[in-house]
Amino acid sequence: MASTSNEAPAVPPSLSLPPSQFARLQPHAYLLAHLSPPAATNQPSIRANGREPLQFRTTSANCGSLTHTNGSAVVRIGDTAAVCGVRAELLHTDDIASWSVARTSSASTNKRQRLAELGEDVTEEDNEDEDDQDRAHIEDLSLLVPNLSLSTGCAPGYLPGAPPSTTAQSISHEILSLLHSSRLVKADDLRIWYQPPNLGPEDEQMDVDEGAGKKAETEEQKPREIKAYWVLYIDIMIISLAGNPFDAAWASVVAALRDTKLPNAWWDVDNETVLCSDDVSEAHKLTLRGLPVASSFCVFEADAAAGWRAKPIPNAQQQKKDGKGRWILADPDGYEDNLAHERVSIVVDKEKNGKTVILKMEKVGGWTIDTEDLRRLVDVSSKRWDEMKQIFDQC
Amino acid sequence: MVGPTASLSNLHRADGSASYKCPVTGYDVLGAVNAPIELPARKDALKPEDATIEVFVKPGKATAGVGERYVERILRTMLEKVILGREKGLPRRGVVITLAAVGGEAAERGDSYITIIPALLHASLLALISAAVPLSMTFTTTLLGVTRSGQIIRDPSPAAAKAVASLHVLSFSSKGHLLLSESQGRFDFETWELVRQQAASICRAVATTGSDGDTDMGEGADGAHVDAFVRETVEDSLHRDYTWKLESA
Repeated sequence: MASTSNEAPAVPPSLSLPPSQFARLQPHAYLLAHLSPPAATNQPSIRANGREPLQFRTTSANCGSLTHTNGSAVVRIGDTAAVCGVRAELLHTDDIASWSVARTSSASTNKRQRLAELGEDVTEEDNEDEDDQDRAHIEDLSLLVPNLSLSTGCAPGYLPGAPPSTTAQSISHEILSLLHSSRLVKADDLRIWYQPPNLGPEDEQMDVDEGAGKKAETEEQKPREIKAYWVLYIDIMIISLAGNPFDAAWASVVAALRDTKLPNAWWDVDNETVLCSDDVSEAHKLTLRGLPVASSFCVFEADAAAGWRAKPIPNAQQQKKDGKGRWILADPDGYEDNLAHERVSIVVDKEKNGKTVILKMEKVGGWTIDTEDLRRLVDVSSKRWDEMKQIFDQC
Repeated sequence: MVGPTASLSNLHRADGSASYKCPVTGYDVLGAVNAPIELPARKDALKPEDATIEVFVKPGKATAGVGERYVERILRTMLEKVILGREKGLPRRGVVITLAAVGGEAAERGDSYITIIPALLHASLLALISAAVPLSMTFTTTLLGVTRSGQIIRDPSPAAAKAVASLHVLSFSSKGHLLLSESQGRFDFETWELVRQQAASICRAVATTGSDGDTDMGEGADGAHVDAFVRETVEDSLHRDYTWKLESA
């Protein structure tokens, strides 16, 4: 036709696209081409963002960035940035409806019963028991309240100002349940005790009958009471999201809790209220149990359609043999996050003797990862722990 | 040990439904599946060649909260791989799975929701089968707890689950793949391997190789493989559905 021949440019258009356009049009093929370069070129298998498959992005952390909070931190993992602020508020035990009931039924006996049911040795109880009581207190009274917000305009998919998306809610729950199961915060740090003074005359009146016991009684201290608790509101804002929000959010929570200082508080009998000192030197830091570090991985499959064909779902044994055609990518960025379906998330901590303890392990969304891969990923995560410890120690 | 009970197609207006009850943990889940249905709005725009899978979990006593969102996400990401969303008639349509916890203890705020995952997964699998949604494989799930002394207990009750050192939910496909592994608490990798071995022997009728021979034998004697249980339930329901045909033949 005449019109087309008129518009045809003198130079024939080149059929190649710039890489950025190719990445948008064919994201799967683009990443695959990076990960499996032709054998002839002798190039290493590398991700589209230039990282090795099991390499994490550069991470930085900064503590105490927000002045109006009790503790805060900004953690940046590549282009994902999370801000976390911890605010402490008082919860008077008078305001807890079930307080007097909860106090009389001691948690330890319940636990003893439970252990007995499980046929365990009840006698071997050390500080684990105390840990459990801690956990029960923190859980029952909801002393930790984390909330994650993604509606900050962090990524195009999340509208600013919109109600919390399902992802945000799900991560909030994960953080809370990890705070509980890792027992990171000690309940004792959150308690505000009151030592009732010995009021001599009253005591004497009470044990008039016991002449012998009187002296011993007056010397003995009255039992301490818990008058209030600190409730920690942990708010996390993801201000920029480029994949892997959980790792960044969790790192910011840990960094902020390490930074948290609670003011010295005491029960004032005359005012019948809790008073706090505004002297920074009297404030105390939280003593945390361990330093859990989260690392996430995703699996990129060469054949994206393998999951739906009628026949070629491989048997588990067969599949172990080849194992090609899929790559485990550490710390996926936003681009890789959209292309991968199977995910692994591991939270590890190291004990003083250097032994790695897993606090949480999640694998969902596929069938290519099994024992051997998970073992490798746990090793990678424990190496990541060393890196993150350095970063936390510096901030 | 009392085995679980299940029945298919109990609801008449849903495309498929199933109820699953586990007497040991006390969970009783009623599941309904509607598929394929037209989706409102443009939810199909993201992946036009695939079906959109939605999972809703309703707790027994309260409104759904953040914990349910978390469970829904796990179920959705797992089922997206199992449901053949590209079969004829499914792309750009929705598969909606609604699960209601009818009985059992409701998890409290910040509790681990992983104790209820096996019941939810079994109910959704049976409901999907009842709705005749094409699946690439079936799967079975089990909950294991590891006590402080390193003893592995099967299906701990919600109260017992609070006392264990770590909790594990593992799901295996009918072909032996590890589909889901959720673990919580303090444990090391060797413990997890033992748990995986035992879970595999509970879920699947195939004998496991390894040092764990005695537990395998015990489970075999019980005949309590979850795999066989799912199979029998579906067989029974099919048998009932086709009674007319069998009798006329």
